[in-house]
Amino acid sequence: MARRKVKAKLDVDSRSEVVYADDEPSAFASMLGGLIEANVRSHPEKELDFESLKARVGIWVTDIDEGVTLEFKGGMLIVHNGLKPKRTLTIRTDADTVMSLSNLKIGLLGLPVYYDDVGRGVALKLLTGKLKIDGLLPNVLTLNAVTRIFSVQ
Amino acid sequence: MAVKAFSNEWAKAFKDEVNNSTVYKTAGKGWKWTVGLVVEAEPANHFPEAKGIVMDLFDGEARDIKVGSASDAQKCDFVITAPYTRWKEVATNQLDATKGMLQGKLKLKGDLPTIVRYTKASQEMTLCTTRIPVEWPDEK
Repeated sequence: MARRKVKAKLDVDSRSEVVYADDEPSAFASMLGGLIEANVRSHPEKELDFESLKARVGIWVTDIDEGVTLEFKGGMLIVHNGLKPKRTLTIRTDADTVMSLSNLKIGLLGLPVYYDDVGRGVALKLLTGKLKIDGLLPNVLTLNAVTRIFSVQ
Repeated sequence: MAVKAFSNEWAKAFKDEVNNSTVYKTAGKGWKWTVGLVVEAEPANHFPEAKGIVMDLFDGEARDIKVGSASDAQKCDFVITAPYTRWKEVATNQLDATKGMLQGKLKLKGDLPTIVRYTKASQEMTLCTTRIPVEWPDEK
């Protein structure tokens, strides 16, 4: 499988990097990879999560029928087009909710904030089944780490 | 009365819609970057030359929106590029701009975390375009 390295080391002191597994990353894969790369580069606290996280996280956008698998390998992220096997977590929701997830604020103890407008909207979608997270219960800490890395707030 | 697509009259109507939107006024608070929309030519659809829409948006207000060349738009802080037909789909509510960007139908250049932070504002701007009666060149 071809791995296209699109970003060298993020800075001199960091091992962090984002690479794409496919020769032609989908637009969604490029956006998520680019978003995470920019977040990690500009927020040292996110880089700590990025350096320690080891998980395969799938995101499937139900209203565009596209998805990605984010393979976090402790300081490196490989972005795959589509859902790949052996995922730790899989998030299935619509495009708007993906945007909301990346707008979740991070509060005390590094936990996502679910009591403001954006957080309530996400929680409601989870309760009504419009946001489904496979593998959530045994991997809450992983989800919180992914949310911190993913959040632009 | 309908205005010609991507004309100066359209730009004025767009600016007025944005400034009349209380949703945009709130969602766009803190925004301080220029946005360029590049409308690529589609001669087969009677849109023979690319155009650029340059938007000077600041803190929930559209200070100026004008039509120029594609290269004018490409100089903006954020640039969204798509062919004429795609923009028509956006302006007629057939294509959601967020989905369009995730699918690569609308190509975005600029700082991703910033644009994601203002998703609601960009969605409202899209809605503003749908409220403008437009005379489309391929429907003549």
